[in-house]
Amino acid sequence: MLLQLRDIQKRFGGVTALKGGNLSVEAGQVHLLMGENGAGKSTLMKITAGMIQPDAGEVVWRGQRVDLARPSDASAIGIAMVHQESLLAPHLSVAENIFLGREPRTRFGLVDRVRIAASARRLIEDHHFPLQADWRVDKLSPAGKQLVEICRAIQHGSSLLIFDEPTSSLSEAETKEVFRIVRTLKDRQTGVIYITHRLDELRSLGDTVTILRDGETVHTGALADLPKEQLIRHMVGREINSIYRRDPVPPGAELLRVEGLTRPPVLDNISLTLRAGEIVGLGGLIGAGRTELCRALFGMDPLTSGTIRVGGATLHARTPRDAVAAGIALIPEDRQRAGLARALPVSHNMTIAHLEAVSRWGGILDLDAEQRLTQSYTDKLRIKSNSPGQLAGRLSGGNQQKVVISKWLVRGARVFLFDEPTRGIDVGAKVEVFETMDQLARNGAAILMVSSELPELLQVADRILVMRSGRISGELPGRTTQEDIMHLATPEAAQ
Amino acid sequence: MIQRLLPFLTLIALFTGLSIATPNFLTALNLSSVVRQTAVINIMALGMTMVIIAGGIDLSVGSILAMAGLLGTMAMSKGAGVHVGVLTGIAAGMLCGFINGFLATRLKINPFIVTLGTLGIVRGLALLISNGLPVHDIPRPFAYLGEGTVLFVPFVLWVLVACAVAVHMILEHTRLGRYAFAIGSNPDAAVYAGVNTAMVTTAVYTLCGLLTGLAGMIEASRLMTGQPTAGQGYELSAIAAVVIGGGSLRGGEGTVAGTLVGAFIMGLLSNGSDLLGISPYVQQAIVGAVIILAVAVDEFRKRKTG
Repeated sequence: MLLQLRDIQKRFGGVTALKGGNLSVEAGQVHLLMGENGAGKSTLMKITAGMIQPDAGEVVWRGQRVDLARPSDASAIGIAMVHQESLLAPHLSVAENIFLGREPRTRFGLVDRVRIAASARRLIEDHHFPLQADWRVDKLSPAGKQLVEICRAIQHGSSLLIFDEPTSSLSEAETKEVFRIVRTLKDRQTGVIYITHRLDELRSLGDTVTILRDGETVHTGALADLPKEQLIRHMVGREINSIYRRDPVPPGAELLRVEGLTRPPVLDNISLTLRAGEIVGLGGLIGAGRTELCRALFGMDPLTSGTIRVGGATLHARTPRDAVAAGIALIPEDRQRAGLARALPVSHNMTIAHLEAVSRWGGILDLDAEQRLTQSYTDKLRIKSNSPGQLAGRLSGGNQQKVVISKWLVRGARVFLFDEPTRGIDVGAKVEVFETMDQLARNGAAILMVSSELPELLQVADRILVMRSGRISGELPGRTTQEDIMHLATPEAAQ
Repeated sequence: MIQRLLPFLTLIALFTGLSIATPNFLTALNLSSVVRQTAVINIMALGMTMVIIAGGIDLSVGSILAMAGLLGTMAMSKGAGVHVGVLTGIAAGMLCGFINGFLATRLKINPFIVTLGTLGIVRGLALLISNGLPVHDIPRPFAYLGEGTVLFVPFVLWVLVACAVAVHMILEHTRLGRYAFAIGSNPDAAVYAGVNTAMVTTAVYTLCGLLTGLAGMIEASRLMTGQPTAGQGYELSAIAAVVIGGGSLRGGEGTVAGTLVGAFIMGLLSNGSDLLGISPYVQQAIVGAVIILAVAVDEFRKRKTG
């Protein structure tokens, strides 16, 4: 047995993060760690990596109890963590990052740059990683950065690697690459703990699984014995309909018509229409131009040619303000960064896109009207908040999402562009997001939903557009198959 | 809650302490002198509050203060009336503020750098225009702005109250203020919400310039000279007042009441030290320590409440 965690407990102030974390991993085993957001997965792994200390419980490493007071204690015995958000020095090279903190020295005590570069090159070649030792890290994709972290762990001779949701920001191809590397590690008798949300990517990868719920290990065992429905029930603690299917409504008037949208080199002659009541999926690989299309429709990037018509009127979207005024809303992928002012009250967040609705005499705010408006949308979207004055950052992820949507409803937006709406949201909250989108559509909005999760597109979208290298490569009905989407999404050369 | 009120409690404690420790503190003469001394920093700090809430910083206010005072007094020395002179100074401040906002938003230069630049440029121009010499021949009535009394209270206090109410109204009750908070709190979210961030930011810097221009005229009136070298280092006092009052240099946080308290704390520290015979060298160190302490307490509060 490589690692055993026994009854780990941890409190942060008044909040219990862990009350019984149990987990064990053997060498050469890929162990999945699952659970909803807030179940305690990250806390448990941070304890394993020595980043925080448990209040009670034991960490047993190769049969011996260890005390990991700091990250260097964990890395000294061979435990390394690959973080979701890269903890690399962006301005340094791949090689320098691999050796960061453990630079070999020359005879004169200076950093031995030659040896760093050579060892890094050898390491990368050994593992066939698509990297170059002298590349600067800030030029790498998220996948590339993870590879660098993996290299670092290997270089340090780690015998247990913890992956914290490694694929949540990766494309399909990059995900496959990470899987391949995980298998290589496994073959070399490294233990792997792999935190994930994605149910579908696991079967091929994991040997055993531990499921945490509310800070406690509720199930641990071989993955093969566990049907998916049971897995979800363990995670959520209640029956939940994971097979969400939207009942389409008959589409109404055309709300958005895009013709010949072009912005070299990322968008090439894009045409599409959205009707009221429709949810249209936009599939494709990362880099196919889906986010760029949303940005262009929202006036964030200039176009070289093409027309956008919203509800029949031509939109010259030169800035987001033009798009907002025309009734387009973009709910960006990174909600925390671009959707919500966390330190401001819920009410401020809801009215910021349309303060005109609550102001008199040109610029004076009617704060009472604002409270009423906020309260009405809080009720309508069933947002769980104490008061309109509660800080938006204190709400749960799903409720934050709803505040962002309310903001656009206040503005009277009718065309909604959702960029990866379920990223980083747990299973239970996903269905809620789908229901909110469905509700929007039923009330006459048109929705374009970008998603890299093919099963989600199939569940939610009425029809699916697929993009490939800046073009729409095809349109499929909502009840299509993952294979058809992938076929349209993958470059011809690779097929 | 107690920690949120800490700056205010500190002010009261300081006031009470000084009243007991020295007989010369709680006199009409001394208090009105404290008010007159702090009014200039106070009014600048009100403008700085808006800038800091919007996620910016203005290092050039000391120079703007000098430029405004200089141009205002020059206008008067060339024969313009007192009102025209004061308005000239305010307009000069506004223009400088507008230029700061314009450079920061249109050229997308970090405001720290922009205003570090204009700090030098404006000061240099003020010295150039005046040949480095102060303006002296100013009409007597101009002294009223800095030294006059209305209803037993220094005129500048009325001006300060009016400015404070106006800035409070702008921040809490207008779209401009709301946008300033939104931009400071999360600039990307403001852009996505369709806020004209460039215009709002420019407006905020312009208002800061306006208030600084007014402060410059008060300073000139108190000294009855237009000094091209006036206001050196005032930018740091203004920033300190905002920060002691709970403003965050990360943007999105700050209040008028907090800033006023912050400015008065510094005013009392300096006045009290004078009365108690503490060396000005030590005073500087005390003010510095208070700034660090205030921010440390504020950070601690935020960490505890998440």
